[in-house]
Amino acid sequence: MNLFRSEEHARNWSSFEPASADGIMPVADWARIFSGPLFRDRLDPGYLSRSGAGRAAFMQALADLGKTSDFWRPG
Amino acid sequence: MAEPQTVQQAYSIILRRNIETGAAPHYTELARLLHVTPDQARDIQRDAVAAAAGCWISHDTDYLHSIAPFSNLPTQYRVTVEGEQRWYGQCGLESLAVRWLFPGKEVRIDAPCLDCGEPIVVRMKDDEILEVDPPEAVGHTVASFMKRSTASSAYR
Repeated sequence: MNLFRSEEHARNWSSFEPASADGIMPVADWARIFSGPLFRDRLDPGYLSRSGAGRAAFMQALADLGKTSDFWRPG
Repeated sequence: MAEPQTVQQAYSIILRRNIETGAAPHYTELARLLHVTPDQARDIQRDAVAAAAGCWISHDTDYLHSIAPFSNLPTQYRVTVEGEQRWYGQCGLESLAVRWLFPGKEVRIDAPCLDCGEPIVVRMKDDEILEVDPPEAVGHTVASFMKRSTASSAYR
């Protein structure tokens, strides 16, 4: 879960695994994904009881960006 | 397992302390705040970590390592809020969620690129991304977030 100066830098990283290439996205897209209730509502008093819905919203945000391959499927 | 209300209370205390000071409380302090024994607080802390996404305790210890989006240990993701650098992001992507804990304030992430060591800067305020430098900067995950606890190279 790291930031790189460009996709080329991410792919050039010594620990880069080609199978994870789908996990490269512009910072703006990641910022959108990390705007769902799982991340935005952490200060809500009932946050933990609603985390299941937050995880579903997170997966939907990924799907909205076309991230539906096996790589993104929960293990 | 502790009552859900108690677990939520502990989670909120830990997160708010991190927001205020840049570090989570030790469980003995949590004990005082929850009016329970230290042993009970240690167990409640474990329950809170298990209940929340992106939280863990350092291996073979009772020390809280990370409560997303923060890290209790320094990482390369330095977080500055309104000009004060006091926090560390858990990872590059969770760093992008720190802004939700500081509504109305500018949050800046400074990090070196793991490939070349040159700087990356992201500035945000609520829903607005104020700056990404360089503009072509990317985020990368080595595994799906729901699998990432098993990915040893996820956190570098």
